[in-house]
Amino acid sequence: MDIQLKRGLLDVCVLAAIRNGESYGYKIIKDLKPCIELSESTLYTILKRLESSGALTVRTAEHEGRLRKYYRITESGINRLDEFRNEWKEIISIYNFVCGEDENE
Amino acid sequence: MNKTEFLEKIRSGLGGIPQKDIDERLAFYSEMIDDRIEDGIAEEEAVAQTGSADEIIAQIVSDYPLNKLVKEKIRPERRLRAWEIALIVLGFPLWLPLLITGFAVVFSVYVCILAVIVSLWAVFVSLAAGSLAAFAAAVIFFIRGFTLQALALLGAGLFLAGFSVLFFIICRAATKGIFRLSGRAVFALKSRFIRKEASK
Repeated sequence: MDIQLKRGLLDVCVLAAIRNGESYGYKIIKDLKPCIELSESTLYTILKRLESSGALTVRTAEHEGRLRKYYRITESGINRLDEFRNEWKEIISIYNFVCGEDENE
Repeated sequence: MNKTEFLEKIRSGLGGIPQKDIDERLAFYSEMIDDRIEDGIAEEEAVAQTGSADEIIAQIVSDYPLNKLVKEKIRPERRLRAWEIALIVLGFPLWLPLLITGFAVVFSVYVCILAVIVSLWAVFVSLAAGSLAAFAAAVIFFIRGFTLQALALLGAGLFLAGFSVLFFIICRAATKGIFRLSGRAVFALKSRFIRKEASK
């Protein structure tokens, strides 16, 4: 898959994983497993990128006597998901056009 | 491998990257492993699921911007003494030309490589143009009644066209190869700035 496209999709996947409340690294990976296999290193890079673009915020909290980082989606992150939804409608209609052509033959 | 060994192995492969960034990375992996263990996975297995230390090191290095690595490398570990600063200032007629030369060499190597690519494509363009010209000439000769000459030109045109298709394939492969090579060169350059600490 095209790298730029894949990067965008991964960003949106991670945002979707924290859409319904804050989450932490391991849980994000587990939640995304049915949809996409994500390695720790990849997740780290994505989270960093989303944090610096302001799509999510990070807080550190104690859990069972150790520290854990929790990620929460921001207003701009939610906007990004909405944008994705709208863009995707366009892409689906392109997909239908491209692939529908073959079936008509 | 247990968690401590795993994190230590990553740390020892990352000398040259600022301590703060390493700590942050390691905290991330450590949290992951702890969460796996909490999930009921044995420590060794939790470490194995996190990935191979070497792969993680390679990915961190390739993610890390080159200019930050260089900055970290040339930052002195202690404050410079007055005489060292004086020496650096006085020595500038010596090191400045050397530095410029270094940059010039790197730059010219790049230019040479690009020149090869450009000339390959130039050959392709001239072959293609030659074949088109031969076809055009063949048509003109044919109309004027020089059938034999027209046939000869047609043959030449076909030959050039075939040759240009072959050359297009070569050019494309060469261009791709060079780009891949320069990507690898950047990675190798970055690795130079990573200190490999003696593995225990």
